[in-house]
Amino acid sequence: MNYKKLIYGLSVSALSITGCTKLTEEPYGLTNTGSFYKTAADAESAIIYAYSVLPEVGYYSRGYYIITELPTENLTQKGDAGPANFELDELRTTSNNSDLDNIWTYMYRGVARANAVIINVPKISSMPEAARNQVTGEGHFLRALHYFNLVRMFGEVPLRTETIADVSQIPMAKSPLKDVYDLIIADLKSAESLINVAKISEGRANKVAAQALLAKVYLQLASAKSSGSAGYTFVDNADAMYAEAKIYAEKVISQQTSYVFTDKLRDIFDTEVYKKASTSEHIFDAAVDRTGEVEGNFSKLPNMFLPADRPMTIPYDAGDPSKGTINIGQGWGHFRTEAAGYNSYAAADKRKTELIVSSYTNGASTYNLDINSSSRPFTRKFIDPLRVGDKSSCNSPVIRYSDILLVLAESAGPTAEGYEAVNRIRRRAGLGDLNPSLGIQAFRDAIVEERAFELAFEGSRLFDLRRTNTMEKVLVQKYGKTITSGAYFFPVPQRELDTNPLIK
Amino acid sequence: MKRTFYKACLLMFLGLFAAGNLYAQQRILKGAVTDEAGQPIPGVGVSVKGEQTGTTTDPKGNFSLSLSAGQKTLVFTYIGMQTREITVAQDQTSVNVSLLGDQKSLDEVVVVGYGTVKKSDLTGAVATLKGSDLNRTPASSVDQLLQGKLPGVQVITSGGQPGSGATIRIRGASSLNGSKDPLMVVDGFPWGDAGNLKQINPEDIESIEVLKDASSAAIYGSRGANGVIIITTKKGKSGQPRISFSSLNTLSTRANKPDLWRDPVDEAIYANEAAANGGAIATDIPYIGITRPFGEGDKTIYYPSIAELRGLDPNKGPWPYNTDWVDLVYRNPVSQSYTLSADGGNESTKYALSGNYYKEQGIAIKNDYDKYTGRLNVDQKLSRFVTAGTNVVLAYTNNTGGGLGVGRSRIFPAYDENGNYFRTSSTDYGNPLSIADRVLNKNKTMDILGTVFVNAQLTSWLQFRTQLSSKYGNSIQDQYDPRDVTFRGFENKGYGSINNSTYTELLNENYLTATKEFGEAHRLNFVAGYSIQKTVNRFSTLIGREFVNDNLENENLETAVTKSLNNSLSRFDLSSFYGRLNYTLMNRYLFTLTARADGSTKFGANNKWAYFPSGAFAWKLNEEEFIKSLNLFSELKLRTSYGLTGNQGISPYQTLDRFGSYKYFTGAAFQTGFGPGLAGANDEQGRTVVGGLGNNSLKWETTRSFDAGIDIGFMDQRLTLTADVYVKKTRDLLRLKTIAPSAGYDQQWINDGTINNRGFELGINANVIRKNELDWTVGGTFTMNRNKVVQMGESTRVEVGTLYESVRQRISTYTVGQPMFAYYGYKSGGIIQTLQEGIDAGLTGNEALPGEIRYLDISGPDGVPDGIVDANDRTIIGNPNPDFIYSFNTSLKYKQFDLSAQLYGVYGNDVWDFNKLTPSRQILRWTPDNPSNEIPRANGTRGFKASDFFITDGSFLRIQNVTVGYNLRPNLIRGVSNIRVYFSGNNLYTFSKFNAGYDPEVGENGINTGGYPRARAYTIGLNVGF
Repeated sequence: MNYKKLIYGLSVSALSITGCTKLTEEPYGLTNTGSFYKTAADAESAIIYAYSVLPEVGYYSRGYYIITELPTENLTQKGDAGPANFELDELRTTSNNSDLDNIWTYMYRGVARANAVIINVPKISSMPEAARNQVTGEGHFLRALHYFNLVRMFGEVPLRTETIADVSQIPMAKSPLKDVYDLIIADLKSAESLINVAKISEGRANKVAAQALLAKVYLQLASAKSSGSAGYTFVDNADAMYAEAKIYAEKVISQQTSYVFTDKLRDIFDTEVYKKASTSEHIFDAAVDRTGEVEGNFSKLPNMFLPADRPMTIPYDAGDPSKGTINIGQGWGHFRTEAAGYNSYAAADKRKTELIVSSYTNGASTYNLDINSSSRPFTRKFIDPLRVGDKSSCNSPVIRYSDILLVLAESAGPTAEGYEAVNRIRRRAGLGDLNPSLGIQAFRDAIVEERAFELAFEGSRLFDLRRTNTMEKVLVQKYGKTITSGAYFFPVPQRELDTNPLIK
Repeated sequence: MKRTFYKACLLMFLGLFAAGNLYAQQRILKGAVTDEAGQPIPGVGVSVKGEQTGTTTDPKGNFSLSLSAGQKTLVFTYIGMQTREITVAQDQTSVNVSLLGDQKSLDEVVVVGYGTVKKSDLTGAVATLKGSDLNRTPASSVDQLLQGKLPGVQVITSGGQPGSGATIRIRGASSLNGSKDPLMVVDGFPWGDAGNLKQINPEDIESIEVLKDASSAAIYGSRGANGVIIITTKKGKSGQPRISFSSLNTLSTRANKPDLWRDPVDEAIYANEAAANGGAIATDIPYIGITRPFGEGDKTIYYPSIAELRGLDPNKGPWPYNTDWVDLVYRNPVSQSYTLSADGGNESTKYALSGNYYKEQGIAIKNDYDKYTGRLNVDQKLSRFVTAGTNVVLAYTNNTGGGLGVGRSRIFPAYDENGNYFRTSSTDYGNPLSIADRVLNKNKTMDILGTVFVNAQLTSWLQFRTQLSSKYGNSIQDQYDPRDVTFRGFENKGYGSINNSTYTELLNENYLTATKEFGEAHRLNFVAGYSIQKTVNRFSTLIGREFVNDNLENENLETAVTKSLNNSLSRFDLSSFYGRLNYTLMNRYLFTLTARADGSTKFGANNKWAYFPSGAFAWKLNEEEFIKSLNLFSELKLRTSYGLTGNQGISPYQTLDRFGSYKYFTGAAFQTGFGPGLAGANDEQGRTVVGGLGNNSLKWETTRSFDAGIDIGFMDQRLTLTADVYVKKTRDLLRLKTIAPSAGYDQQWINDGTINNRGFELGINANVIRKNELDWTVGGTFTMNRNKVVQMGESTRVEVGTLYESVRQRISTYTVGQPMFAYYGYKSGGIIQTLQEGIDAGLTGNEALPGEIRYLDISGPDGVPDGIVDANDRTIIGNPNPDFIYSFNTSLKYKQFDLSAQLYGVYGNDVWDFNKLTPSRQILRWTPDNPSNEIPRANGTRGFKASDFFITDGSFLRIQNVTVGYNLRPNLIRGVSNIRVYFSGNNLYTFSKFNAGYDPEVGENGINTGGYPRARAYTIGLNVGF
């Protein structure tokens, strides 16, 4: 045998085998842009991923309420909460506030996920057009929601509409408010036209949600312009915006049947009622379920509100002892109801008597909660008697029918339509009708007040005060708070300032 | 190639003797030749000085020689051994000779990557060690045995856990996030990071070479930046089969006596004082004679009072318990190692095979490590020009149990009255006996490594080698935590898991070697090749939580209420071209040029190929006439080198964009979503850190190093000295950069940052006495490295390592301008004596009270002391990197006896001693009557600040090993060619000012959290050759 030939043969074959090796990398167990967005199922999964940021702890399962409720007269925090909570509560935020950093981060994660849907899903040609449009429309809705939150919290922000493929895309300047709102409105109009399904499922947005959010956006522009709130001079005509808000609010209130006014206050927040009913107030929720595996799939939000002393039993219906009692467990007592907000309700207001728990039982003992103690009366908008351990199914309502009803009232002004809208809310709360002879400004002021009671603890109050330019009037002059910084716009987080060279 | 050349020389040499005529045959002298270990050496040249008479030893090392009358001097020569002259008396008829390994031989061949080179022709910084010079003490991996052996090589063994490896640093650490471990190459097969070479029995090792500078390591390109350790195993020698057996039997004790409470009364007094000072209410003071609820059912636990413990309570009998946990939990372990090996062959076939059984007991009960290894080398000549061979290694290990605590209270028993493990409450998971007995913790590994090669002599000067190697490793870890033994078990109502890992690697190397001389003056050696290596690592974990009972442990995870599983796979390919040119001019000017190009799938699309060139120059001054004329130096060589090496410490897929997934509830069920942003671990705020943004430019780290060295030998190499200085600058450090959160991501891997290492290393060896029957050698090494983080992009300080709950921060940092792992925290100044003193120091609350540690106010928000001790007062407070490390060794041989000893020392490093407040110090605590300025008062609720209070000098000098051996005269017993017995003591004593209860040698980051106790090992060894 000729070994030389063998060796040459071996070496040539070795080289030819190895020479073919490409150095491209095939990731294992990981999806990425190259392998995804091919099928209808991929599109569905992409939009699910975009939604899934909402109930994360940093967003609607906790962070959102820290940011939007602590600065108002509704909530303060326990004594050993972190310094960032105190800064928010005492309206002296700085760019180093970790809670603001947190929510900023989650909202932009949401933007990135929504952008991935908006950019990639329309390219999936293999799926039916209707389904593709619906998913794309939901992407637009989510992006609009994140930017609406961002602009109301921080004002001018970087307007990211592309997916990030390379670090060179990261430096980005802030966009003026006008551009931000233009994108929000365009996105919501796209969502409204692309989504045609009346109700997709719990936790997913549809045409009505897009219309509802659009109504809120127009009302924001209208009221901020007319009140002279900082930054909104770009809005041309407040009345035109009120008119737009009214158009879209009417679409929600009277031109659809998927979402309705719930007659009983308690039912609005009873997971077993609103999750099972074919129609409810919940136009759009960040959805959770107690069967989830990790926090963010289920919610621990109730623990933030519930006092920490001992497991609590409360009547199912505060007005009707025959309905029995429910065990709601105990919480962390993180949030404490502020006396200012608590004492501002009318005595007969059912939103206080039925939706705020001021006493409970444990065994044979009854405990009364003192608004000035460390264990205070607390809202029962976020309770889950059926929770498993700390895992609750308590959704975070993002848009409620009642909210839009009040948007309609505020945008319609002291008209029959406006009065009817607000009085539906008041009657359900056990209150009489609103003074029928209010001027337009007094009427709108009354609606904002009504919103304070109706939407308390739901993350609406701060934005209502900001858009009506009444942060000082209400929080300082009426409730004696001090505002040091961040009255109308919170400071952009330091981490963003440090890492985004164009943001100044 | 060079080996062949020398073998040819040897044959010629021997042939000359064979041809010699024998004149007068007046007597026959018989004898045997062995090596230091008593192994017979075949083929040793035996000649009579001044005569033509001579012979060679047979396969059993025996020779027989006819001598003429008179006193003669015999000369014994063998390649790789020191030539030895023995005078035989006029009437002597037998002589037994032991040859010493010739470490200092200039003709010795040194293995470098893809070839060998004569030691005298080395141009780079390469340290060499013979396998026979490794200490004979039980070691589950050879890495531990390298400690103190080689200058420039730092070996850290941070405890005595059976089966644990070692941390090896060659010329300092030069990566922040990539691997800092050298590349381990075994018989031409790069096995990966050094640190736990369990697959090779130390007795099978022929030689160890460490490539330290860029010139020598550049042949390994993108894996060479941390240095390269080359292990060469023993090959078969032709001749009759040689069979040998060796054993090590070891008894160990604890090197450090645990510093624990000796008297339950002292323990209880301290506990009571700590509780009272910590603000406990009266009934929460532990030892006041009170019954406390157990937490389950009606059961209660009685806590005695101090008086009762003292036996002074008139109403109670003496307290019955004084549990010696050390006695219950620790043992004097016994370990064994048995090796059986054989080698032999003929001109065309050579083989070597060996098997080893190794068993190591841990100091903690029920902690054992077993290992079986087997090895086979076969070389077959297929024709005059072609050789083929194979090399197979099998290794199997089984590790059970782990470390156990002994710090539990003496006041309570180990077992309750029913014989169950005693617990103080239903949530007491601290009884080490129940952990040892009931927790399942078992790890089995299996490795199969093989190489097949063909070597062809293409022309007289050109050789080609092709090699196919594969490595397969598998490990299975079984874990079960019963519900009443550990917190994890309790929390989950039983927690069982199975971890599976498999590692596979495939390597193909093809290279040409050319050796040619052009006239007298020019010698060329050239290597060029191509290789491809594929690596696939797979992992899967099965976890079950909540079982009906603990009976089945993890054997039927399906029956768990909650099951979870995860799996992953990482794979990467490396393609490489490499070459090296050695050019020798006039046997005195030596040039080496080396380069490697590495292409890796792990690198970003924009940087697929990495290039690592290097060059070296050496000048053999001893060949110059002006030095020769001095008649002083047997060697005088100046060396210098400069070049690039790399570190490809990127995990696979980091250059690609990677999607995350998350679930969302949509009414009926959860749906799974995929999209951009891959959630990683949580940050300190509890927020997931999102990565997954690709980086097409991600690449290797590059180290540029300069080395200058000198090799000096005097008196025919009886005194040798090697010294090197080096500067290493590592750039493009891999780092997680924080990116703008508005992008939807938090961080991304980038190349950015610089670390410098510079240092000096020295090795000295002196053969002080070299006589017939007496040989004495002394040597030493000295290693000094200075490490500095030069820059890390936008960061000036990154906290790294574990977040220690006791001080609520990470204490190790990478800080610009400081060495790696520099400690960060507060400065302290003794103990506060009065409240006013505490308040004046800027402390508040309980921290200002007398008896507490006085932290210093050294800065404030404006950079000047502000009268408040807060986070602004933290600074760099210590450095765990030693000023230098050093070792001494000596070996003495007299007739059949030999003695060797090694000392190893580390100087000038700080240790962060979390166990500083041991009971022997607690007893000296501050009290109003004992105003100590060193030890704070007892306080059960003190929140320690991370401060230099914990920092202690970690310098030590250890008597690492002393071995005394005796070699029986060869062939004393029929059928047995040699017997050696020896006694070896390892880790005999440590000189140190460190905390007496612990060994000062802790991990690389210098943090003592009370690791696994280190053993002092006494070994009896036996080698028998047949």
